[in-house]
Parts: sequence; C-alpha cells; structure tokens
Amino acid sequence: MIYVNDLRKEFKKAIKEPGLKGSIKALFKPNNEIIKAVDGISFHVDKGEMLGFIGPNGAGKSTVIKMLTGILTPTSGTCEINGHIPQENRQKYVKEIGVVFGQRTQLWWDLALRETYSVLKEIYDVPDKEFKQRMAFLNEVLELEDFISSPVRTLSLGQRMRADIAASLLHNPKVLFLDEPTIGLDVVVKDNIRNAIQKINAEEGTTVILTTHDLADIELLCNRIVMIDKGKKVFDGQINDLKREFGQMRDLGFELQSAGDLSKLQYLSDLNLSADDIELKNEGASVSVRFDSNKVSVEDMLSYTLSKVHVKDINLKDADIEEIIRRLYRREVSIDEV
Amino acid sequence: MRTYSPFTRAGMLESVAYRANFFCFLIGEIMSCFIMFFVWKAVFMSTDSETFMGFTMEDMVVYLFITFLTGYLTYSDGTYAIATEIRDGSIAMRMIKPCSFDMCFLFQELGNKIINVLCIFAPLVLGVEAYRWIITGACQFDVVHFLLYVVSLVLAYLISFYFNVSYGFMAFYLKNLWGADILKEVIINFLSGATIPLAFMPKALASVLNFLPFSSLSYTPVMIYMGMYSGAEIALRMTMQVFWLCVMILISKVIWNHAVKRLCSQGG
Amino acid sequence: MKRMLRLHRIFVAQYMKNLMEYKVDFLTGAVSFLLGQVIQIAFLGIIFSQIPNLIGWEFNEILFIYGFSLLPKGIDHLLFDNLWSVGYFIVRKGDFDKYLTRPINSLFYVIAEKFCVDAFGELAIGLILVVYSVIQLKLTITWYMIPLFIVAVVFATLIYTSIKIATAAIAFWTKASGHITHMFYMTNDFSKYPTTIYNKFVRTFITYIIPFAFTAFYPASYFLTGENPLFCIGGTVVASVLLFIVSVWIWNRGIKAYESAGS
Repeated sequence: MIYVNDLRKEFKKAIKEPGLKGSIKALFKPNNEIIKAVDGISFHVDKGEMLGFIGPNGAGKSTVIKMLTGILTPTSGTCEINGHIPQENRQKYVKEIGVVFGQRTQLWWDLALRETYSVLKEIYDVPDKEFKQRMAFLNEVLELEDFISSPVRTLSLGQRMRADIAASLLHNPKVLFLDEPTIGLDVVVKDNIRNAIQKINAEEGTTVILTTHDLADIELLCNRIVMIDKGKKVFDGQINDLKREFGQMRDLGFELQSAGDLSKLQYLSDLNLSADDIELKNEGASVSVRFDSNKVSVEDMLSYTLSKVHVKDINLKDADIEEIIRRLYRREVSIDEV
Repeated sequence: MRTYSPFTRAGMLESVAYRANFFCFLIGEIMSCFIMFFVWKAVFMSTDSETFMGFTMEDMVVYLFITFLTGYLTYSDGTYAIATEIRDGSIAMRMIKPCSFDMCFLFQELGNKIINVLCIFAPLVLGVEAYRWIITGACQFDVVHFLLYVVSLVLAYLISFYFNVSYGFMAFYLKNLWGADILKEVIINFLSGATIPLAFMPKALASVLNFLPFSSLSYTPVMIYMGMYSGAEIALRMTMQVFWLCVMILISKVIWNHAVKRLCSQGG
Repeated sequence: MKRMLRLHRIFVAQYMKNLMEYKVDFLTGAVSFLLGQVIQIAFLGIIFSQIPNLIGWEFNEILFIYGFSLLPKGIDHLLFDNLWSVGYFIVRKGDFDKYLTRPINSLFYVIAEKFCVDAFGELAIGLILVVYSVIQLKLTITWYMIPLFIVAVVFATLIYTSIKIATAAIAFWTKASGHITHMFYMTNDFSKYPTTIYNKFVRTFITYIIPFAFTAFYPASYFLTGENPLFCIGGTVVASVLLFIVSVWIWNRGIKAYESAGS
C-alpha cells in the first residue's frame, strides 16, 4: 500500500550571527548550512493499518508526512502510495488521500462550516448522493450537528478539529494523514477524536498515518509505531515489541514499617548489580526501586526485599511506554537500525 | 531615553533583516517619480514658456523627488501597528509595561527610519543637487534652507506619527481597516499637496489647504527646501507645524486614555 | 475547463459571502480607489489647461490611453489578486500546503480563491474614460475594431497576470517575494502615457524586457491612429503568450522547491 524507500530531504539554512553586526555581515556574505531533515528513511504500511509516527520535536516527522502528501519534493529516495508517486500527477493522487494538519485549518474561516463542505464537495467532485451519505456518516461519528451552521472562527478548538477531520474524509480517501490531531485538546475531546478515528478505520478500512506527541494516542490507536530521531528511523514495530525489547525496567514500590530499615536493603552488593541496573528512591518510609528485569528476575527481587524488611504495602508496575520513549529520546537505549 | 534604546535597536535589526524587501519596495515606489519626470519633460517640450505655473523644469524635478523623499521619511506605520495590537489583544500588554505607549512605537519606528535615512536620504539629495547643478550650471544648494528643511521634516514626521496612531484606534470600532487605510492615503496625498502641488490648485482651495494640518506633512518642508518661502513665511509655516503637532499629540493622548478606560471596563 | 469554470463560480460565490462580512470596509476601499483615480485625472486636466498638446498627443487621446490602461489592470486585479498573497505570506507561513493537497491545479486554485470586487472602481473609470474620449475624438469605429479591442484587453491582462505569477513564484525559493512583485508591478504606470515621452532606455525596457507598454500604449495607439496593427495588437498577443509560458514554467519549478514551514 505505502512503500517508502531511502527517503531524504535536505534544507538549506542561512546561519546568521547574532546582533546588528551579524545581520550586516549576512547581508554581504550569506552563510549556508545544509540540514538533513530526513536522512534515509524506509518503511512500508499495509492497507487498513494505523501507523503512529513519533519522535522528539524537529525529528523530521512532519517533513516525512509532507513528502508523503506531495507537499514537499524529496531530495532523493522514493515513496509510493497506492501505486502513485505523490509529486507526479499530484492532482490525481491527492483525491485518494485526506490530510489534517493539527495546527492549521483547511476550513473557510469566516463562513459557516456547512459552506466548507459544499465547496469541498465540488473540489473533490463528490456526487450528490454519496455526499449525503458521507455527511450522515461523518455527522454520526464526529457529531458535527451542533455547530455545522456556525462560522468556523467561532468554533472551539475541539469542534474545529472534528470539523477538519470530517473535511479530510469527505471524499472517502484510502489513506488519512493526521499531523498532531490531538494537539492542544482537553482529555474528553481527545477521547472523542480517538474514538472517531478508530471507528473510521474499522468501518471503512482507511489506512491511517498519524504523528503525535501524545503517547496515549499511540497506545490507544496504533498497532504499529515508527520512531524517528534526527531524521533517522530508530524503531519500527509493534508497541508490544517495543515494550518487550526495551521495557525491561520495572518499578517496585513499597512502604516500610519503619523508615530506619532502609539501610538493610543492599541491592547492589547482595544481588551483585551495577549502578546502571538499579535505582532507589525513597521519601521517608515509602520506597520505589526501578530495576532491570533482565539482570535480576522479579521473583528474586521480591523475595530478597521481603526477606530483609517488613513492608506494609507492595506493588509492581509494568513497563511504561512513556518511560521507554523518554529513555529512547535521551539515547539511553541504543537500537540498531531495524 | 535609555529605556527606549532597545526599541530603536529592534527596529534597526528588523529593517536590516528585510533589506531586500526595502530596496525592491523603494525601486517600485521611486518609479512613479521617474514617470512624472518624463511627463514633465514632455510638458516643457510642448510649451514655449520657460515656466509652468511659476515652476521651471528643474523646480519640478526638485519638487518631485523631494516630495517623494519627504513622503517616504514621514511615512508612519502607526495605524497598522496599533490596529494589529488592538485586534490580537496585545494592546493590553502596553498598559503593564513601564513606558508610555506612544514612545515605544515611536522609538521602534525611529530605529527603522535610521537605516532608511542612511540608505536614501543622501543619494536622493545628492542626485537632485547634481541635476540642478548640471542644468543651471551653478550649485543651487542652500545650507540654511537645507537645515530648515531637516527641522521641518522632523516636525512633519512627528505630526504624521501621531496622526497615524490616532487613526489606528479606529480598529476598536471597525472590523477591518483595509478600506479606511486606503482612504486615508488617498486623502492625505491629495490634501498635503503630494499628488498635485498646492500652487496648481485653484487659489481658494489652496489657501484653505495651506491652513489644514496636511500641508504640514509634505508641502511645507518641500517648499522650504526649494527656497520658495520668504523668511517670514517660513516662520509662519513652521509655527503652524508646531501647532498641529501639539494638537495631534493631544488627540492621541485623549484617545489613548479613552481606550484604556474601555479596555479596563470591557477587557479588550 | 467546464469544471474549472464551475469551481470558479462557486469560489466567487463563497468569496462574496465572505465579503459581505466586511461590507463597510470593502466599500470604503472601492470608493477610495475611485477617488484616487479621479484626482490623478484632475491633475492631467490641470496640466493640459496650460499646454495645447503633449508632444503631439491631445488631452482626449491621453485620456483614451489612460482609460485603456485601467481595463487590463482592473481585470487582473478583479480575478488574480490572490497572487499578491502568495508572495507576501501564503508561502512564508506554509499555508501553501493546502493548495497542494487538493485535486485541482494549484495555480488555478490559488487564483480562483479570491475575487477582488474593489477592482470594479478601476474598471468603471477605465470604461468611462475610453467611451468619453472616443466620443470627444469622434473616432470612427469599424466592426472589426470591437473584437480586436477585446483581444487586446484580454491578452494585455495576461501580461499583468504572468508577471505576477512569475514574481510570486520566486517566494517558493526565497519564502517571500511580495516586494519583488511590487517592484515589477509598479512599472505598469509607465504604460499610462505614450512611450514617445520616454528616453530610449525606458522605451526598450517596457517594450522588450517587461512588456508593459503592450498593456496600454501600443494597443491604444492602434485604435487611435489605425497604424501598425501587426505590432500593436500582434505584439500584445505574442508578448503575453511568451510571458505566460515562462511564468507557468517558473511556477511549476517553484512548487518542486517549496519548503513549507516548520510545524
């Protein structure tokens, strides 16, 4: 369905020294630097898949999306979607995709929302009958009814995002690109939007590619993630794989009956661990221990702790996707190119 | 003064950053001077008289280019700046800054102007004087008139600045200032004598316009530069400029105080 | 083509609805434009009150050329004004993304989106001047003059539009090019007067480099004198078509270089 092969994009950026002097210098001798925004990325996506794109700010996520949607022309490499190359025969290609940029609206600002849809109907050449059906479906999923007659500029951010997603789906695209669809929204609205995306994917088999900073989006929506950093792919696979491979860190939390017992716990020497494998934090009597479950099993950890001290309460937390990704961003975990 | 120097610096940086825009814009604008130059040349070729309504060809050229220079240097972006701040609500921020609102704008714009003055003032004046020298065979440059012109120019700029700031407050009442802004330009260009020299207009109209604030913006400094006014007349005209400047400052203060009240009671 | 016209009509309708939100603003703008033109013409009147003719051109002939120059300028202003926005902010802000994700030609889309009604001021003044001067001059009108007049106006418009397309497209490389468009566009004022008043350099420049002379003086002089139809009308057609081809080529190259804006 989507094949991306060794995609690259370079930008020229003028370097300017600070201050008035720098500005004047740049006037006579501009200094350019080449920035590799996307540096050889390959992956493929099957029909009906929901793929999450994650990475820190400036990693190149949006640049990839913009190349896939035909907005940017790659410096080298290829992408092929549904048998189309986005930059060639753009007009035909974009009929098969829907695009939402979370920070930018495609709606007509001063007009009632309804008007936007009737213009898009013409732009995408949607027949009357199909248009009615689509609007009914989108209305049901995204609940547009309440504000469809209001001018777009009066909509709340959540309403606007729903309206924007509906606008991108009016022509029943095969692929939907969502660039930060939940940015700036409150928890309830985020939930609504996620449910809607899921429903659309389930009912229409629409392939969805989304970028986000909200990891809950990823956990709830995506079967698969591609993580990129500094223009390179650092992970590609199922979320479960990510957890299995890198989620060896566990959190053991408990409350001591007397705070003085803490000194009895000598994990490093007694369990023969290095400082990288374990981290102990305490606040009075409540203690949390983060440890590498590949180095010491959960069972050993528990029995050692219980044998040394008396505890009131104990819990063991699973690997937290957010923690894994935070560590990945900080390059604490190294991954070979997949 | 020290409080405002960062604003001036920011203005200078801004105008250096956009220097290419500035030059292209300048070339586009100065084109109309050259068109009129050719039109006047053709006019003088078509008449036997040495003068046209009291102006010689080189008077006309000086008038054209010095009017352009004056218009360019007294141009103020105050309307746009204020209207933008009113629309996005940042005008409220002006109230919590420890400096007076008009001074912040003024010094930022001055920073912008410094660069522009450096780039176009000398070339234009030198060009005009060189032309006059070549045509008449003698240096026509008059230091006294030139210095008086500079003073009059500064007054004209300040009048223009306060007028534009006051005008910008219309954004409180109008959704969009695009149309009103064009209207302002057209009317000012006409009333100030920038489009048609006041001397070419019917006597009655010209004498009315001479006492309105608009002639202070362009016609007065240009006539001083050209040495068209006698000493007494210069004194009168410049007094008028000072008078109108005071009026404009007063108006802008009244409007600002009104705006502050409005902001406080309605919250922007 | 039929679809394009239909789409254009829909865009115009939407734009008009939009405009009604800002009625007062737009009316003030249109009236101001008109007023500005009236003042310019009054100035010409003052000049001609002192001289019999301008190196051989009488007042009404100048009015005809002046009026003619407003027609293509007005049509371009009416239909293709959004090109200014491309150079001033659409590309810089990354808003051009929108035009690239739609199944219609990006150039057409960007142009069709805006319909600048205030141009009717220019068009009205232009028409009034042309009709008035034709009557005053007692010009004899033969039947084929009317289609020729329309052809001349249409292709003269294309000269304006092509120059705007080419200069707006520069923004794809430099992020903003509104000031470049402005610089070229301002050259058009040269065409309001007979090219014979200019020196050789200016004449060559506005005939062969930026052919604004073909937007008014050359075609208008044919209708005034009946001389040189091949150069005056044919030249307009050739110059505009060449310019248009070049500008579309630059536009398409520009889209490939478009860098959007950081999200």
